[in-house]
Amino acid sequence: MILDLARLTWTFLWLSLICVGGGLGVIPELQRQVVDRFHWVTAREFLDGYTLSQLTPGPTMLVSIFVGYRAHGILGALLATAAMFLPTAIITAVITRHWATLRDRPWARAAERALAPIGIGLMAAGVYTLARTGIHDWATGSLAGLVAAVLYTGWLPPFLLVLAAGIIGWLAGL
Amino acid sequence: MTERVRLSRLVQVFGWTGLTSLGGGRSAYFYDAVVMRRPWLKSHEFIQDLTLSQLLPGPSFANLGVALGVRLGGWRGGAWGALALIVPGALILLGLTLLYFHVGFAPNTTSAMHGMGAAVVGLVFITTARMIRASIRGGSALLVAAAIFVLVGPLHVNTGLAVLLMVPLSLWLHRPRSGS
Repeated sequence: MILDLARLTWTFLWLSLICVGGGLGVIPELQRQVVDRFHWVTAREFLDGYTLSQLTPGPTMLVSIFVGYRAHGILGALLATAAMFLPTAIITAVITRHWATLRDRPWARAAERALAPIGIGLMAAGVYTLARTGIHDWATGSLAGLVAAVLYTGWLPPFLLVLAAGIIGWLAGL
Repeated sequence: MTERVRLSRLVQVFGWTGLTSLGGGRSAYFYDAVVMRRPWLKSHEFIQDLTLSQLLPGPSFANLGVALGVRLGGWRGGAWGALALIVPGALILLGLTLLYFHVGFAPNTTSAMHGMGAAVVGLVFITTARMIRASIRGGSALLVAAAIFVLVGPLHVNTGLAVLLMVPLSLWLHRPRSGS
């Protein structure tokens, strides 16, 4: 059991390290490891767990709780989640803090100017990916357009709109 | 580094952001919370942290929470901000996991998710448009952003590979020049 716990922790640790540019890219590898290789969850359970993590607020990679719990109970959930979030959070904190001390140097300012369009391009690619899976007919397209229009005015906070759209989707059977 | 925001206020806002970030594209909720609704950060500062969180390994929404927390509240801001962001969702998901495995609850929520998915597209679209308007200055920045978009979006090039290709080009295009 201890060996499998170590394997679970190690798997989520290295998956977190190859997770660059958002969680979506790592999902196929995550599925391959936890379903096909180590059999911690079945393919159906993985799909349900991923759906639950998308429905739940917070990072989607919290799917580690679902897989970890299925594999080794609460301890498994804790270890998988700590492995997924803690090391990379420490890396981010150290780099962010250190970068803040360098920010005023000309080369650092140039680097920030150079990296900003990369971040925005990745965000725009995220819009494209989400639109390909989220918009499949005129109804979902109109809903997306309506939400964008209301957000543009700033009348309502985003979560209320997303929640309302979920209820509309459920009632209308989208 | 000066702490810009009181820790208790930071934890409160990050906790609420974590608790209300539904669907995909969750960085957009942060933009709304710390740029649009509160004068905590300028758009270009948010984009700096967003970019860093995307380029560094790890779940980018959590990385963004850490980066923003460190910027707004130092080490303690990073640690408590990240916890406030992750823990509420983690507890909810743990509860749903227990229900799933012990009670047999199955997530038969396809229609609701379709509605939420469509709304998130609208949310992320409007947030990205705001960021582009606030931060893209000049042809070279537009070129780099468009190239990354085409590579990772329509062409499905691996994100890491696209970043490796474009970062050197963007650094060269934005290199410090004499007199600038």
